Amino acid sequence: MTRALEVDSHDTATATTGAARTDEGGSVDEVFSYRELARLDEALTMSSRETGLRFTLYVGELRKPTRTHAEELHARSGPDASDAVLIAVSPGQRVVEVVTGAGAGRRLPDRACALAVLSMTSSFANGDLVGGVVNGLRQLSDQAGHPASLRH
Amino acid sequence: MNVAEALLVFAGIPLAIVVVLALLTLKPGANRRPRYKPGQAWDHAPIWYEPHPAHAPAAGHGGETHAIGSSVYGERHGSDAAATHAVSAGQPHSGGGSTAHAARPAGPLGGARGTW
Repeated sequence: MTRALEVDSHDTATATTGAARTDEGGSVDEVFSYRELARLDEALTMSSRETGLRFTLYVGELRKPTRTHAEELHARSGPDASDAVLIAVSPGQRVVEVVTGAGAGRRLPDRACALAVLSMTSSFANGDLVGGVVNGLRQLSDQAGHPASLRH
Repeated sequence: MNVAEALLVFAGIPLAIVVVLALLTLKPGANRRPRYKPGQAWDHAPIWYEPHPAHAPAAGHGGETHAIGSSVYGERHGSDAAATHAVSAGQPHSGGGSTAHAARPAGPLGGARGTW
């Protein structure tokens, strides 16, 4: 192993150790700007904290049939998939899937999800991905309300 | 007013104004990423965003706190704790923690689907 050290690296990565997370692939803000990432982060975190459900957002290609792939993703979206809500957006296929687990589904009926999806798709059709997701999360968390354990 | 002066006034000044306006128009958007337009291809790698855990387990407490309001979800240990912190970029790995997640069935799934 007599390769030269990687001089572009921003950390202590050598020829025999892995690169740091920041050196892998593209930059963090490749898809969304930092401002948009901050909005997404706040919306996901606040929705999850207010409702006690776990909202996650997947942005990328979905295998066909997209519903099956979204449900597979939902199954591994967290340690407690029953209370997880997955929003899977595939801008290339122009599909958005909302998947709720059994526990989350009691507080988020399919009709409420369909309403949130409707508001999301109308934003997506205007090219506003982040705004649509933030509005959809707001609707979903408003519908779900606070869990009994968080009521005072 | 000779020819040179006339050219300067009637061609140079309008040209300068046009250049200034063009710079003012184009410069702010020069480093902006291309906006998503419906129908265009999406060639980014899949990315999965997760919420922050309600309260990160504090160091030094051994993760055994049961105080009211310390955590909505309860504290996680081992691979689950790592899973709550990691933002999974790219294809989610199929080994390791996913087997633990698959142990708890999510029951009948609900939700909705939309296209645009």
